[in-house]
Amino acid sequence: MSKKIIINPVTRVNGFMEIDATIDNNQVTDVKTEGLLFRGFEKMLVGRNPFDVVYFTQRICGICSTAHSIASTLALESAMGITPGKQGRYLRDILHGCEYLQNHIRHFYQYTIPDFVRLPEKYPFLATDHNDFRLPKEKNDEVTEHYFESLDISRSAHEMLAVLGGKAPHNHGIFIGGITTRAAADRIIKIKSILHNIRRFIDEKMVPDVFTIARYYSDYYKIGGGYGNLLSFGCFNGYEVLGTLYVDPLVYSNGKTSAFDPGGITEEIDYSWYKDKQDTYKPMDTAPEADMDKNKAYSWVKAPRYNGIPYETGPLARQWLSGEYRNGISAMDRVIARVLEARKITQVMGILLENLIPDVSVQQEYDIPASAEGTGLVDTTRGALGHWLKIDNKLISFYQIITPTAWNLSTRGNNGSRGTAEQALFGTMIKDIEHPVELGRIIRSFDPCVSCATHVYSQGRCIKTIQVVP
Amino acid sequence: MNAKNTCPEYAARLRTASDLINKVNYEIKRGSLARKKLVWLELTGCSGNIISLLDGSNPGFKYLVSMMCDLIFSNSLMASEGEAAMERLFGIPDNEFILAVEGAVSTRNNGLYNVIGRFRGEPVTALKAIRILGERASHVIAVGACASHGGTSAAKPNPARCVGIQSLLKRRVIKLPGCPCHPDWFLGTLAHILLYGEPELDDRDRPLLFYSTLIHDRCPRRSFFDQGIFAKKLGESTCMFKLGCRGPVTRIDCPIRKWNQYVNWPIGDDTPCIGCAQFGFPDQMEPFITYNTTRGVRK
Repeated sequence: MSKKIIINPVTRVNGFMEIDATIDNNQVTDVKTEGLLFRGFEKMLVGRNPFDVVYFTQRICGICSTAHSIASTLALESAMGITPGKQGRYLRDILHGCEYLQNHIRHFYQYTIPDFVRLPEKYPFLATDHNDFRLPKEKNDEVTEHYFESLDISRSAHEMLAVLGGKAPHNHGIFIGGITTRAAADRIIKIKSILHNIRRFIDEKMVPDVFTIARYYSDYYKIGGGYGNLLSFGCFNGYEVLGTLYVDPLVYSNGKTSAFDPGGITEEIDYSWYKDKQDTYKPMDTAPEADMDKNKAYSWVKAPRYNGIPYETGPLARQWLSGEYRNGISAMDRVIARVLEARKITQVMGILLENLIPDVSVQQEYDIPASAEGTGLVDTTRGALGHWLKIDNKLISFYQIITPTAWNLSTRGNNGSRGTAEQALFGTMIKDIEHPVELGRIIRSFDPCVSCATHVYSQGRCIKTIQVVP
Repeated sequence: MNAKNTCPEYAARLRTASDLINKVNYEIKRGSLARKKLVWLELTGCSGNIISLLDGSNPGFKYLVSMMCDLIFSNSLMASEGEAAMERLFGIPDNEFILAVEGAVSTRNNGLYNVIGRFRGEPVTALKAIRILGERASHVIAVGACASHGGTSAAKPNPARCVGIQSLLKRRVIKLPGCPCHPDWFLGTLAHILLYGEPELDDRDRPLLFYSTLIHDRCPRRSFFDQGIFAKKLGESTCMFKLGCRGPVTRIDCPIRKWNQYVNWPIGDDTPCIGCAQFGFPDQMEPFITYNTTRGVRK
């Protein structure tokens, strides 16, 4: 006897998504993850002033806007043949680090914790509908206290970003050459001081909290693993003097780690609401049009592939590829990796701050080439982010974006193989069909950002309801 | 005067204070029973305004949900999920809630370009959600550029055919344009509604409290403008008018308020204002950055 479970909205993710699962004998035997929002940024960007993409593309996503400013800046620099100097890179990467911290702290406490900890129901938005809460009272109370305390800490990560970035979300500081402003001593010490507090919170509260959760929900080490293919474009790496402080561009599959080759990236669209002359293409080839009248299609997320197969990207991939954490690949390992990565980022930022020369100006008067192409690949909070652009007549003539969540929340490939998160959900045992908490917990372990992944949505099919199919 | 011949007015006077206190207590009690509910609806956008709200301080998010109102629904923050979450959203009685909306509304294909959940099996589009909840709320606040006027979600060629929420509602919508909306602009507006009723609005329904004065009029670099000293590239400390600054057309209080614990703002970051708080952002505010000192106009 088959049963359908549909979860929509999957709350506590950025954007809108649906999990559509078929359950037989309490096990997930078929599953789709669907992105439910279309805006069409790639089309909007055509014809715009190339400098503007740094600020424009940030509007793709409110929680990881800095990521898009970084990738678009790298793509512009690549098109213009500009390599930022040492100080420019340090400054830009410090701002990127601030966003990692804002994001990971909010994802862990505001998005993940409500799945595992019973929060005070006097706050209506924290009321829950299931009973699988396992922490003893004193532990539950302690993490609850940290849930509220974390609000000040994640806010201070954005404050730190604004010190050199002007404001957040949607910063003004990231730009060609590094950042726009100069880091005088008063600004450097302000960032150091805030970072000190954040680091203490992570060490003393966030890391112990994640291991508390892991202890009481140890079954989550065994579920939500998926393919175990891991990919990173690299971040905080390849500094001229400092070398690699975190992770290089690497991939891991079938037990082997190898160097990442940008030429291996394709996107497939048989199961997504897009049309084009070709159903598989390389990023610079084409940006498909929206098309809701496709029989097989079920999501606005496309299916990025590396050498033809799906990959997971994000904190666990980076922790694994850098050798920092290799306990396993599962829903719980993903949550732990994110928290450990937050700690790692504070260390990386500490090194970059130590190497700053105060008050250096890295800006010049830039000129847009008449025509050029550029690629910006970088690992950001949620994983591997790519921006590809073309310039003609000094205006943007083509733009392609492949986000981390497109990798993780990908649809089936053209050969029918499940996307990364779909594979992680597939086969999961559901204890209580009425309250399938496992599905949301596994999906949130990927920290999906559907605003990013779906520069689109539609339905175009019959309405399903939760029903028992004999 | 003995007890029998008490002057009625005098007796009443003696009771005035306690009557008032009782009345206040009664109202407080009544007020707490009818504590305002807040629904935060994320529609066709980047969900950056709820992130900006979390950046608020004094009042911050915890004060908002503890002392100001009951937050009933937020896609980003609520513990509940799926059908149960939608039950909480649509189960709120009419007029008992303030509706804060971020994101524009996709109207393409009858709204199916943005589905925000399922209720009783059926997809709820952003379009359907705003039409139902927008008419039922006691107040509607458009938080950020997209909800206020379409914003980046409606940037040309507007592939999802997005519109601001006012064009779908007959009632007045208080508009807080900005990308994102500063937490103070929202929390201050909400506080005004809770304590004193609707704030005074300009002819485009923006609270005068925040949107009355041009950035240019209060810009700390105004003296450079007046003397004709203009920056030639980003990172300079003079007037950025010739780099494309939109401060002269943007009404908002950024120069005196600043962002993120009041620590900085775009002009303080040696970049031009890009007019994110002005109607028409982004299309009519571009180019954001130009080195053409004659301010080239984009075709």
